[in-house]
Amino acid sequence: MIIPSEIKKKPFEYLFLVLFFTIGICFYLFAGLSSSNQRFVVISLGAGYFFWSLYHHYHRGDLSLSIIIEYLVFILFGIVLFSGTFF
Amino acid sequence: MKYFWKHWFLPLEKNNHRSALLRTNTLLILIAFYLFNHSLIKFISVIKPGILGYSSEITIQKVIDQTNQKRQEIGLKPLKYNSILSESATKKAQDMFTNNYWAHTSPTGTTPWDFFKSVGYKYSVAGENLARDFYDTDSLMKAWMNSPTHRDNIVNSKYQEIGIGVVNGVLGGIKTTLVVQHFGTPLVAIASDTKNVNTKQNTEVTLPADSQTQETTLNNQEIISLPQTPEVLSQQKKLISPLLLNKIISLVLFSLIITVLFIDGFVTLKNNHHRLTGSNIGHIGFLFMILLLIITSQQGAIF
Repeated sequence: MIIPSEIKKKPFEYLFLVLFFTIGICFYLFAGLSSSNQRFVVISLGAGYFFWSLYHHYHRGDLSLSIIIEYLVFILFGIVLFSGTFF
Repeated sequence: MKYFWKHWFLPLEKNNHRSALLRTNTLLILIAFYLFNHSLIKFISVIKPGILGYSSEITIQKVIDQTNQKRQEIGLKPLKYNSILSESATKKAQDMFTNNYWAHTSPTGTTPWDFFKSVGYKYSVAGENLARDFYDTDSLMKAWMNSPTHRDNIVNSKYQEIGIGVVNGVLGGIKTTLVVQHFGTPLVAIASDTKNVNTKQNTEVTLPADSQTQETTLNNQEIISLPQTPEVLSQQKKLISPLLLNKIISLVLFSLIITVLFIDGFVTLKNNHHRLTGSNIGHIGFLFMILLLIITSQQGAIF
């Protein structure tokens, strides 16, 4: 099985991300939230992912404006499509 | 032609070792495309209500069957269908379309109990569940059962009868189906049980707790439930729900980007290229999480 070198180098950072997403999914699905709170949870998950990316790339030494914009666009993509589906 | 596909799906020297579909400007175009489609679907729903439709799977009989199934699972007696209660439930649904609201009590102060009274149903206990924007009965029942307050109504041992109103109309500019569940126990039943005809009328009422309220506008409505004969919605003209259409477009776009992220990451790893981009694994994780939430989330709203 091929494990990408970036995971080998920073396994705990990716483990933290997996745990963060898992907790977010469980909270979203099982907390009996109203639709406005569901949207808030998804936006919070996007914000969390953005901060993780800043930390991750800062420690990797390749944090740049183009990378920040890339993450923001991916997060925007996820949140817009999610919101458009339900609201 | 072959290069065209490679350019969009594979990291090449000519596209600076990044699949063109994953570039930020391409993603922004996809977001704009999605928003345009979303607005178009909403626009068509308002201008040409006959083109896009609403739920075509919900049936009154299924709602009653599943409600009774849930009750029997915990040892309660099944509810008896009452056409008068269905009439009050249908009137309630019509009233929400007519008076632009989505709540148990109308802006003018009309309560659910006014609908029970208007059809001449004298109750000792009564309750109401509301739902909108569901495509099928299974999802609707699942949402109600997942909500403790709605569940309490469904499995309340005090109720003996049930009536369902399923009405199609335009709410907030979108064609939708409103489902109203009215529960009750007639006063006569209590009186004959207790031999006490002096029992106070309308003694107890139950509504699920307030979860959300939406102000909506009315354009059109159509009654599809007959109080005396439970009718199947699928007998109506089958139309695609705009909500379902939005969901399908979202799922297609998510699947496309996740697939390209996989391909792009795999090829880059195989060729051992180093490039200044974000983490494909992180992006896949984030988008996959949202995809999972879209797939597993309930379709409509309950009240």
